[in-house]
Amino acid sequence: MIFSQQSHQGEIMLDHRASPGIPAGKAEQMGLDPTLVGEGRMSHMATLGCAHCNAVVVLQPLRTRERGHCFKCNRYVCDYCAADMRRPDYDHRPFEKVVDLVGSGKFTLQGPLWNPLLIPTGE
Amino acid sequence: MAKRIFTSAAINWTANAAGSAIGTPGTPSWMGVKGASGTQITDVLEILFSGKATSSIVAAIEFCRASTLETTPTTLAAPHSDGPMHFATAALTAPVVTFVAAATGPTPSNTVTDGKINLGLNLFGGIIRWNAAPTQQWTIVGNTAPGGESLLFNSSTAGGSGGNGDAHIMYETY
Repeated sequence: MIFSQQSHQGEIMLDHRASPGIPAGKAEQMGLDPTLVGEGRMSHMATLGCAHCNAVVVLQPLRTRERGHCFKCNRYVCDYCAADMRRPDYDHRPFEKVVDLVGSGKFTLQGPLWNPLLIPTGE
Repeated sequence: MAKRIFTSAAINWTANAAGSAIGTPGTPSWMGVKGASGTQITDVLEILFSGKATSSIVAAIEFCRASTLETTPTTLAAPHSDGPMHFATAALTAPVVTFVAAATGPTPSNTVTDGKINLGLNLFGGIIRWNAAPTQQWTIVGNTAPGGESLLFNSSTAGGSGGNGDAHIMYETY
């Protein structure tokens, strides 16, 4: 079977077919495309999860800049983590590894989930 | 282990500011999910929100991390519910803590690098649903900040106004 990166995409379905929808000014304030969320509209938006910080990102279909990608994970990474990967002292740490370390009971997390501190519990 | 579904009913989703503890935490206006132990891993697989307002109200519903956890969550009671999706599921030895009220409310994260799921909609007839693809789920790690608790709330910071709605959060814990 051929693997496709699109198999990683989740979806947001927003149904305003029986609703006044979100006014244009308010949609912009909320970071939504006004043409997709107005009265009578139904939209399906693709989402991706960042392999390094677990953030869920709604994909902007009109984006022309490259999206972040980790070739070690072969997965999407968000813009913050993509920038972090360019640091010279960057240490590759996918979120799955963080989950395993905390799940083992040997570490706890501190700070934001983007680049968190792993604190040994002493176990 | 087993998929479960946490459902709220007849909640007035009062808008609250990100970065501040939820106001009037004894009155349901948000949904919280917290790990039962420091090593519990919980995957959030789907969130659905359906508006029930009788006039046009735009709500900025967000699913985000709690930067400060609640204290003393109130035991869930009807009409809200949290149960397995398969009737033959064994009871969890360490059930995930799901709640809609607490002694002091959780603080929705206002950290710029923390991810949030934007589920804004018009509560007058609007419906929104987020599904995660396999391996792309939202993960709750342990039971302390920053990863141990997540909440669904209406953000006044993002321009939301309060109104009625129902929601469910589908999750699986390990």
